[in-house]
Amino acid sequence: MDVSRSGAPAANRGDGGNGAIPPFERIVADYGPLISRIAMSYEADPSLREDLTQQIFLAVWQALPSFRADSSLKTFIARVAQNRSISFVTKQVRQPPVAEIPEKLEADMPNPEDNAIEASERRSLIEATRRLPPPQREVIILVLEGFDYSEIAEMLGIAPNALALRLSRAKAALKSMLEQTG
Amino acid sequence: MTTDLDLDRLGDVWRQQPDPAEMEKLKRSAASVSRRARRAQLFDIAAATAVAVVVLFIVFAYPQRTTVLMGSAAILVLLYGNIRSRRVRQLELRSLTGTTENMLDQSTERLEASLKYNRVTLIAFAPAILVGLLFAASANLSSDHSLVFLIRSFPMLRVLLGVGGLAAIAGFAIFLLLSIRRIRRELQRLAAMRDSFREERKSSNY
Repeated sequence: MDVSRSGAPAANRGDGGNGAIPPFERIVADYGPLISRIAMSYEADPSLREDLTQQIFLAVWQALPSFRADSSLKTFIARVAQNRSISFVTKQVRQPPVAEIPEKLEADMPNPEDNAIEASERRSLIEATRRLPPPQREVIILVLEGFDYSEIAEMLGIAPNALALRLSRAKAALKSMLEQTG
Repeated sequence: MTTDLDLDRLGDVWRQQPDPAEMEKLKRSAASVSRRARRAQLFDIAAATAVAVVVLFIVFAYPQRTTVLMGSAAILVLLYGNIRSRRVRQLELRSLTGTTENMLDQSTERLEASLKYNRVTLIAFAPAILVGLLFAASANLSSDHSLVFLIRSFPMLRVLLGVGGLAAIAGFAIFLLLSIRRIRRELQRLAAMRDSFREERKSSNY
């Protein structure tokens, strides 16, 4: 593999392969919060979440050379982050299934990261999102991240009508969860 | 959409920027990950180069037919291992950039292959050891052979070797059994996850 002065693969540097890809450091600055939010919506335990975030960074770092700009970089990163998160929670054999995880919420486990979530509405939203079944959670996260419906349908490999139905159900479930947590 | 949830407003709440300390932590974490990945990459290259240099040195130092054959075989095995691990990594990465259902399907296939491999190993390794022992017993090793002589001269060594060998075999078998159990559990969870996505897809395709 072509290793640059900084050691990143050519496409990670943005000066080879595909000129559209910014350096990894820039990607972290631009999309780190997105990665962090996705990790947060899949893993409640702070130490496991840290592990998941690192795994997503590694997956993005490794996958960047295969980015072909047939979608936006944000879409590409969100897809990697979602898939890595689902794969991560599936591997946690000692944990209860993901849909049942949120018995222990962030508010019970204060740490610097949790303290940073000051707005109670945001906290409630994250907790409620965590309670959703993974297929609905996936679609809600993408909507909350600001992707448009055609992008989401393409990312999930489903028709726009199917997306509308899934989103409608996910919204209803999220509303119910928000009422419970709020 | 049938519910009155304002996703645009919730999206604004959701996308609140992290505070500078959290952002710094993220950057540090990413920098450490990329540093480790770079080191692993360089280590792979250095290890492959070192093995190739040693093999070439041996071949040139002892240019006999057997050495050349063994050296070529070693380099071929090294190349094959590198190509195979790169392919596996590429497959994993490709599954990460596809749809979730495809990723789950591919993970299931990979785990099923691992399960099969572990089961075959578990079944095959006892007969393999037996064949090895029979082969050793039937080999025409004279008692003045240094290793055999050493083992025969020290009964304690014989016991130690026997106990050690049995422990190693038992340890390996336990490792395989635990590994099979872990893979089975993971497969169950994968199947449950995949089913939930399939159900959702099925119920969305009206």
